[in-house]
Amino acid sequence: MIAPETRVAVGVRGLSVRLGGNLILDRVDLDVIEGEWVTIIGPNGAGKSTALRAVGGLLRFEGRIDLNGTPVDRVPRRERAKTVATVAQNPVVPPGMHVLDYVLLGRTPYIRPLGRESRSDLAAVDDVLNELDLERLAGRRLDTLSGGERQRVFLARALAQGARITLLDEPTSALDIGHQQEVLELVDRLRAERGLTVLATMHDLSAAGEYADRLVLLAGGRVVAAGTPREVLTEDLLAMHYRVKVRVIEGEQGPLVVPVRG
Amino acid sequence: MKRVLTTVIAAAALLLAGCANDDAGAGRPVPSASDRASYPVTVGSVTMEKRPERIISLSPSATEMLFAIDAGPQVVAVDDQSTFPANAPRTDLSGFKPNAEAIAAKNPDLVVLSNDLNKIVDQLTKLKIPVFQAPAANGLDDTYNEIGQLGTLTGHQTEASALTDRMRADIDKIVKSVPPRATPLTYYYELDPTFYSVTSKTFIGSIFSMFGMANVADAADPNGAKGGYPQLSQEVLLKGDPDMIFLADSKCCQQSAASVKARKGWSGITAVKTGQIVALDDDVASRWGPRVVDLVQSVADAVVKVPA
Amino acid sequence: MSIRLDEALPAKAKPAGLRPAWFAGGILAVVVAVVAGLALGPVSLPPGSVAAELLNLLPGVRIHSGLNDREVAIVTQLRLPRVVLGLLVGAMLAMAGAAYQGVFRNPLADPHLLGVAAGAGLGVTAVIATRTATGDATSNLPIGVPLAAFIGAVGAVALTWILGATGGRSRTPATLILAGVAVSAFLAAAQTYLMQRHVDSLREVYSWLLGRLATAGWHDVLLMLPYAAVTGAIVLSQRRELDVLTVGDEEATSLGLHPQRSRYLLLIAASLGTAAAVSVSGLIGFVGIIVPHTLRLLAGASYRSILPLSLLFGGAFLALTDLVARTAAGPAEIPIGVVTAFLGAPFFVLVLRTNKTVSP
Repeated sequence: MIAPETRVAVGVRGLSVRLGGNLILDRVDLDVIEGEWVTIIGPNGAGKSTALRAVGGLLRFEGRIDLNGTPVDRVPRRERAKTVATVAQNPVVPPGMHVLDYVLLGRTPYIRPLGRESRSDLAAVDDVLNELDLERLAGRRLDTLSGGERQRVFLARALAQGARITLLDEPTSALDIGHQQEVLELVDRLRAERGLTVLATMHDLSAAGEYADRLVLLAGGRVVAAGTPREVLTEDLLAMHYRVKVRVIEGEQGPLVVPVRG
Repeated sequence: MKRVLTTVIAAAALLLAGCANDDAGAGRPVPSASDRASYPVTVGSVTMEKRPERIISLSPSATEMLFAIDAGPQVVAVDDQSTFPANAPRTDLSGFKPNAEAIAAKNPDLVVLSNDLNKIVDQLTKLKIPVFQAPAANGLDDTYNEIGQLGTLTGHQTEASALTDRMRADIDKIVKSVPPRATPLTYYYELDPTFYSVTSKTFIGSIFSMFGMANVADAADPNGAKGGYPQLSQEVLLKGDPDMIFLADSKCCQQSAASVKARKGWSGITAVKTGQIVALDDDVASRWGPRVVDLVQSVADAVVKVPA
Repeated sequence: MSIRLDEALPAKAKPAGLRPAWFAGGILAVVVAVVAGLALGPVSLPPGSVAAELLNLLPGVRIHSGLNDREVAIVTQLRLPRVVLGLLVGAMLAMAGAAYQGVFRNPLADPHLLGVAAGAGLGVTAVIATRTATGDATSNLPIGVPLAAFIGAVGAVALTWILGATGGRSRTPATLILAGVAVSAFLAAAQTYLMQRHVDSLREVYSWLLGRLATAGWHDVLLMLPYAAVTGAIVLSQRRELDVLTVGDEEATSLGLHPQRSRYLLLIAASLGTAAAVSVSGLIGFVGIIVPHTLRLLAGASYRSILPLSLLFGGAFLALTDLVARTAAGPAEIPIGVVTAFLGAPFFVLVLRTNKTVSP
């Protein structure tokens, strides 16, 4: 239950999405409270990324999605971009673009048409580069960076947007476990420092459980379970929806999911 | 041979000029002296303040006219196609892709050309260079006119009148020398081996009409939509069955009586069967200058040989 | 249109944009092209005198250049309009090429490879071929020509865009170019048909096809100028949007952009510029690929630098190419499209070989 005094950053009611005639999401309800980290989990094809894109305003949908109480499809694009920032699963790496310029793209909603980036835009970017320890990479070409460095740059662009709601689509899928942890720790730190609200999708169930306040389990386009990691990451639920035998072990930060041979 | 002819014509012109015949120049200002015309003169839109001494000709026909009326010494340059007379100062200037600056570089006081291509008249006018346009003739009268106009502009009016009188007389004599026929001869005039031809409405066609000949190409461009230069199909040619074939592509494209005979399906054409295939000099046949008399003579010579 | 230069920033890395040094280099290239274009030609004129005459065109300036009236006319009536038209046409083709490359996120996009030029050519041919028989071959281009060229250009690019997506949802650079080739061939066939139907205007169409820079007059400059100004203003206004578009439509949308809106605006503007260039100059290929690519390699990948520099260097490039075209085989002229193709075809192969994103 959500206490009445807390503010809902992302409110989803009866969200249905059809792509090419197929029903991808079927009446999904979902809430993310301001400052909360919610991760959507679920097997491949469950509709995790679609849900994230709908919340980001990138898809037509039925139902209702509110960002800070305003329907996402009523907010002008620029305003929406100042409210919600997305890091795509596989962001496009423009050939030849430098890190500084890429992060500056995050300031797009603040730059008037025909205008150029102001000193405050540059200051905001400097600030972000500082915070993510990217200053020394600012003059490098994005396409020459390693996977972990790139992921930090993608995150930096989203932060530069100055949006309080951050959507992360599989932020760790391209990284080794060391860099996975580094990135997730970074997001968690930023969430605390900047008061971000995080809605993510993840494959790695243990990591999802360790970092998220709450998990939402999607299967076949429907929410089949939602709650704290302990409530969602159960051997029964996972066996039913992932069709896999797992053992759930109690870890320091939450339950750890280990697949076992059946 | 041609040079001899030109010399003869030029000599005759001088003689005639000396004899002060006024009838040919009727209606035009009478020159005060044989080669001392009074300036300024105006022809069409061109006004010459004084006798032009640095003429550039970009038209082979005009080049022949200028030299035939004794204006040759005043010509400083002619285009790359002006192959006659041999002493014409041929340069790499082009009449098809005229270059205003290259023309201006020779500092002319009169430019004569036949086609206003690539806005050349406009550009030369901007450079304040007088331009006289002598377009392709549609009949002999156009040729006579242009010769007269060039005579007026260059101060050789007398010579020009003499030349045109002489041409008229020669052509008249040649045409009369060919006996008339009960049924007109039909002919095909070949501009190139892809069967482009001319109709009776063109300059060339008018020459054949003087001999009462019928053109097999007339049906291909009845209303002149193709400018009198239709492309014929082989089928039309075979059906037209011309009595004579004239080749104006003997130099450019190495066509000859033998090559025409060798064409597939042509053996049934009367002209091929009877061997009435005449190779003309391309240059003479494509120009409308003084040597048109030679062309008329060639046609007459060929026609006379055809049995009635 | 004003182009703002980067003010010096204290940070080590500077945001992408037009670097003052490159801007100055572009201006210098234009000046060199103008001076060389005015000084060289069949009539040799001292460059100092030419420069003096150039200054004399400014109001209130009167310098004795030592040239006679005819030489002055050669400079101001023949060479200057030709150089200016070369600058405008080159600027439009290069900038349109850069804009197409950005819009389609395709390094091979070029007004000619996309069929845009062929469409514009068909439009021009239609106007020249079908206008009343009274119009003689020497008159100036009808005012309607750029409009017809524009309609043809937009139609062609739309066709290429649609065809490029058939047989799959994705348009790879290669399928787009293949579609462009097909559209070009189709439009060229339509053009040939039109020309055969109107033999009387054949000569005029040919003389236009081979490039009209040779006959450039101030009329052509005035005809082209408004289109060039509109195109330049619109495309330059979208230079930042083009940078954002490099991350793809979805990410651009999430950054607050309307990708389709920018794309259509840029497509229309680039097609307008191409159409204007084609209608005054005929078909001149490869400028739109040579110039932006060289700039991308040397001055950086940002459209904020590529677009304004394409205007300057594209103009200078074509004016200098035209100089080669009219002096190399003088007094005959090599069609300028032949010269650009000689330079451009090997360059195209180079781009194909070095660019990993080209293959499907």
